[in-house]
Formats: sequence, structure tokens, C-alpha cells
Amino acid sequence: MAVTRLADQVPRAQSAAPILVVDDIVKSFETPDGTVTAVDHISFDVAPGEFLAVIGPSGCGKSTLFNIIGGLIEGYRGRVAVAGETVRGPHASIGMVFQEESTFPWRTVVENVAFPLEIAGMAKAQRIERARHFIDLVGLTGFERRYPAELSGGMRQRVAIARTLASEPKILLMDEPFGALDEQTRLLLGDKVLAIQHQLKQTCLLITHNITEAVQLADRVLVMTYRPGKVKRMVAIELPRPRSSEIVSSDAFGRSVAQIWGDLREEASRGMRDDERHIAEHLS
Amino acid sequence: MAETGRLIAPAAPPIAPVTLVRVAIIVFVLLFWEAIARSGLLFRDVVPPLTVIGQALIALLAETDYYRHLGVTAGEIAIALGVGGVTGLAVGVLLGGSRLLARAFEPYLYYLGPTPKIIFFPIMIMWFGVGPGSKIAMGVISCFFPLALSAAAGMRQIDQVLIKVGRSFRAGTWAMVTKIYLPAMRAPVVNGVRLGLGVAIIGTLLAETKLSNRGVGFLIINAYSTFNMPRMYALLIVVFVLSIGANALIGRLGGVDQIKRA
Amino acid sequence: MTGRATRTFVPFALGFGTLVLFTLALEALIRAGLVNRFIVPLPSQIAGAFGRVIAEEDIPHRFLVTARESLWAALLLALFGIGFGVLLYRVRLLREATETWVAALASAPTVLMYPLFLVIFGRSETTIIMMGFVAGVPAVILKTIEGLAGTRRVLIDVGRSFKLSEVQLFWKILLPAALPTIFVGLRLGMIFALINIVGVEFLINFGGLGQLINDLAERYDLPGTYAAICFVILVSVVFFFLTDRIERWLRPVA
Repeated sequence: MAVTRLADQVPRAQSAAPILVVDDIVKSFETPDGTVTAVDHISFDVAPGEFLAVIGPSGCGKSTLFNIIGGLIEGYRGRVAVAGETVRGPHASIGMVFQEESTFPWRTVVENVAFPLEIAGMAKAQRIERARHFIDLVGLTGFERRYPAELSGGMRQRVAIARTLASEPKILLMDEPFGALDEQTRLLLGDKVLAIQHQLKQTCLLITHNITEAVQLADRVLVMTYRPGKVKRMVAIELPRPRSSEIVSSDAFGRSVAQIWGDLREEASRGMRDDERHIAEHLS
Repeated sequence: MAETGRLIAPAAPPIAPVTLVRVAIIVFVLLFWEAIARSGLLFRDVVPPLTVIGQALIALLAETDYYRHLGVTAGEIAIALGVGGVTGLAVGVLLGGSRLLARAFEPYLYYLGPTPKIIFFPIMIMWFGVGPGSKIAMGVISCFFPLALSAAAGMRQIDQVLIKVGRSFRAGTWAMVTKIYLPAMRAPVVNGVRLGLGVAIIGTLLAETKLSNRGVGFLIINAYSTFNMPRMYALLIVVFVLSIGANALIGRLGGVDQIKRA
Repeated sequence: MTGRATRTFVPFALGFGTLVLFTLALEALIRAGLVNRFIVPLPSQIAGAFGRVIAEEDIPHRFLVTARESLWAALLLALFGIGFGVLLYRVRLLREATETWVAALASAPTVLMYPLFLVIFGRSETTIIMMGFVAGVPAVILKTIEGLAGTRRVLIDVGRSFKLSEVQLFWKILLPAALPTIFVGLRLGMIFALINIVGVEFLINFGGLGQLINDLAERYDLPGTYAAICFVILVSVVFFFLTDRIERWLRPVA
């Protein structure tokens, strides 16, 4: 059975317009130490089929931005729109992959991946069929009946990605999806994501603090400042596609990494000094 | 014979040392018991020979009257667990779902939970009479607390990211409850039921020993007052086996995916 | 600061306020004749009975009797519970053979053996103390083993690297590391013991506070019975609260 994707049915003429518009987002939190502006006037667009990475030091409001675009946080200024529709709460066109371990421990791999289809009310036989397709896509065929605890961390994160892909989102929104994995697994999973993105022409938005990961995967990298989180620079990654993790040794790759680190270094040091001052204040 | 034995031996698993130790302990205890019983030096009537206890056990299990009493007690415990379980879970879910309610009321439950419940028995007799009603009530007060507290704790320990996953796929309230909250709470709730059953058994049976004319608790105290020690041992053995068995059964039910989660 | 104060005050006010409101409503319902006052005495009557019960029923002495029984049970628990726990931890085979038995015993209704203990020790404090001990000892054994076995491997390796003897390793590393968990077990054991001590006092009509409740109930002194129950609950809650605080204080900084 051929699995048709919603993305394929979108007329080509529309694909010139951005599929995701993030327009002038401002979000502050009240903390015991006063008001903290996590996200400060951030705007950007993502074109259909594009892979955009958002990079910033810890504490720059990346995760807040992730939750805002995913519709899990309310009470911010500005607007998020998917295919022209304003996002108010979780949107069917946006599929989220979380940083934390997010597979359901009481469901097998296939039951996990079929979850969004089950919520959508798809018949059992059909959703199992679809789930198998996406399990195959992330390379986990043969593990359908296993429970997450029987898999490695990298395999579990692939289950989470397959589960989100199964809901056929227009945009795959990922928050540090490989943050808990070791560097080698991370590079190999990056290859996997690249292959899937190529095959499905999937629009992706990746939130990360890992420069290598951002350069390896993205067409453009948005560098954020440390608190308040503003757009520092948008860097285009001029690496040919299809890519694989072998490009990490190329000069072009090194240049992109150096360029981003040049921007990020200053922000990360600011963050570190801030943390140290904070700890010193709390100890005194 | 010895030859065939030696040929088969490598294939058959050797007896684990643990099993040997267990058997040794059991045999030692039984022999020690029998020695005391036969010598008659110590507690002549308190320590009857094993054969006498065995006979009493067989006699008890052959008695139709015993099953009637067992049925009464089992019924009381089942109703108590049902009533206490439903109210306990409901209260636990309320407390688990609301920070304010939890901080306002949970300390009371937490500190009332481990108080001796049997002292409420005189009040329960006044409220529900001397019949099964007051025994059921004792069972209910006993199992309400562990159930409510473990349901509340179970709800709070649900991984927040799983709730976010459900929301991101736009699951409705019903789907959230049946597909995320309940399965995620299963292990602590089953554990609460296990604890609840244990204390419901104690509450109900103790009440029966204090004041009743039916149930296994009554049989135990009756054996005491007629000084029928073998029968009392037989009854205690049955009660222990049944309650440990029920406990293990529920534990097994809750632990099916325990290994897979670990 | 004010934020934190309201955060703790509002829930407290809600909880305590509900309790007071419930008591007042009960008083009103009984006065209105909607609740039978021969089944539930007026809360004000119960409050009044408090003073009478304390004065006439020799509460201080009864309290001391129960406290003495609990103290004996605690001593036995510490001695045999921790002792057996250490023994089972040291002798691996014994532990593997009996740990599930101890766990089963912990979930068994041991308090139902009180008629048996009655035959052995008679209607005496010994019966009550032994019932308390029997109810609490599995928890102490299990928690002692858990604490010792749960000592982080690296701490033991640190001890080895300093060439500590087995005895030194036990006293300098294993025991201090296990102490918080052992105290959790002792507290748990004491809770079970206290429940059984008061419960058996009530059941066999002998001894301290538990017997008082039985006594008052048999005299049909309703407000007195309610007051005595409230008093026992109060005493146990204070005990749990204090030991809870000690346990938290003992818990190492994570």
C-alpha cells in the first residue's frame, strides 16, 4: 500500500511562500529574582522543504521558543502562523519531538508510533500499517513488538521521531532531540534525519545548542543571543545536499562551524558569567 | 543405576545452593518445633506436634462451616476494598491534580494514615451496628489512606513530557485520561491496592476478633477462648497463606511490564 | 518573601478552615437534630470531655505505659532488626534464601497472631511489646539490607583504595552511607509497632491508651470515647511528625 503524504498534495505554486512564519515573538517570565525576558522580538520564516536550525547558549530561551511554536505555551506577544493559519494551541501541521525521553514505556514500538493515528481515530489495521512504514523509515524494522526499555537511547529517540512523523506534520519541530546521546550516535542519527528529510521533503525546525549538529543538518542557522533571547545572526550553510556526516571533515564545514562559534562564543561566555554570579549570590 | 544417574546428571540443572539453604532452614525449624513439642518441657499446650497441627488443618479444610465463615470475611473485605478503593482513588486523583488541594489536605491524610485504625471500632459499631457493616467500615477506613496517598503520588510522578506529547498530538480529555494518565499511574495505583488489601484484611479480621459471631476472625478468637491451639494454628496458617497469596497475585498483575520499564 | 508566605498560608488556611467548618457544621446538625446525638456527641461535648478524661482516667500514667511499651519495642527492633539486616547482608546466600520470606512477612497480617501471643505471654505488657516487635521487624530488616546494599560502589572502592580492613570498611563507609535508609526502616518499623501496640492494648483490654478507649466505650461514655480517640490520634500524629522531621534532617544533601 502506497503511503501518500499530505505534503505531496500541496500545489507547487504555493511552495514559494513560507510555510512557517514566526513574527516578533516576545515572552517574559516572572521569577523570584524579577522579570526575565526569555524571547525578545524574534522573527523568522521557514520555506517549504527547508531545514532551519536555531542555536543558542543554555538559558537563551530556545526551549521557550520551541514550546511557543508548538502551541504548548500561551501568553506571549507576536504571532506564529503555519501555512497562513495562526497557531493557537497545538496545531496538526506541527509535529514536536521532545528533548526528554518521551516514548510511552507501557506501549510497544508500533503502539507508540501509532499513537497519533489512534488519537485521530484511524482504524487499527490501517494505523498499524502506517506505523510500520514510519518504523521502517527510521530503520527500526524488527523492533515493532519491543518495549522502549528494551531499546537503546538512540533507538528510543528514533521511535519518538517516527511517532511524530506518523502524524504527517507539515513541519517537524525538534528540541535537542539527540541531546542525551553520545557524539558518535548523534552524528549517525543526524545522517538518518538527513535521509528522511530528503526522502519526504520534510520541512524541519531544529532547536539545538550543538554547533556540529546545526551545521551538519541545516540550510540556515539562526544564532540567538543569551538573555534576552534575540536574533543575533542568520547564517546560511552552503554545503551541498544530499549530505552525510562525512562532511564534518570538510573545510567548508569547518568554516561554518568557526563562523557560528565566533558569534556564539560571546553569548555563551555571558551565560557562564551570569550563572557564576548567580551561584555566588546564592551562596553568600 | 549409578551409571545412568551420572549420565543424566550433566543435563539436569544442579540444585541451586539457595534452594538448599531454604530447605535446610525449613527442615531445621520444623525439627526444632517437633523436638520442643515432644519434649513437652516448654509451652506444652502452646507448641503442639506438627502432626496434630496437620490434622487440625485437614479437619478445618474439610469443614463446610469454615467456608461459610471464610465467605463472610472475603465478602466484607471485597466490599471494603471496593468502597475504600473508589473513594481513595477519587480523592487521590483530586489531590494529585491540584497543588492547592494537595497542600491543603494531604498533610492530614499523610499523618492520619499510619494511626491505629482499630481504635475507631467502637464508633463504627455505634454507626453501623455489630454485624458485617462495622467490619466493612473498618476495612474501608484502613484501605482508604494508602490508596489515596499512592494515587496522589502516582499522579504527580507522571513524566511531564508524556503529557506534553499527548497535548502536542491534540489528544482530548478522555484520550489524555485513558491513554496517558491511567497507564502512567498503573504501577503506583496497583501498589496502593496491594497495600490497601493488606490493611483491609487486618482491619476487617481484627474487628471480627473483637466483636462478632461470624467470619474467620471470629473463628480465631473462638479457638483461643476454647483453648483449641491446633485449630488456631490451622486458622492462622490459612489466613497467612491466603493474604500473602493475594498480595503476591496483585503484585504480579502490577509488575507485568515492570521489567520492561526498568 | 510575602509571596512565599501567602503560598504556604493559603493552603494551610484552606485545610484547617475546612476542618473547623466541618466541626461547626457537625455541631449545628446535631443541635438541629439531623444527626443523632447518641451516636455522634456534640463536638463541644467532646472538647469538654477532654479535660475530664485527662483528669479522671490517669492519662499521664497510661501515656507512660504505652510509651514504655513502645520504647521496649523500639529497642528490640533496633537490636534484632538491624542485627538481622547486617547478618543477611553479610551472608549472601542467607539473604538470597530469606529476603522474599521477610518481605512476605512484612505484608502478612501478623497482628492476627495476638491470641497466640496471649496464650504464650498472658495478658501482659510482654504480649503487647512482642506484637509491636513482630509487626515492625520485617521493615527494619529490609531497609537495613537496602541501605547497606545500596551503598554506592565508588564509595566502597574509595575505602578499598585507602586499604581499609573489612571491619573499618563497615564502620567507616557502609554504615554511615546506610544510616539514613536504616533510620527510614526504624521509623517505619516503629510506626507499625505503635499501631499494633495501641491496637492490641485495645483488643485485649490491657495497658495504656488503647485500653482507655475500650474502657470508655464499654462504659458507654460517648464523649469520653471520642475524646480518647482524638487524644490517641493526636499523640500518634505528633510522633510521626517528629520522626519525619528527624528522617528529613538525617537525609544526606543530594
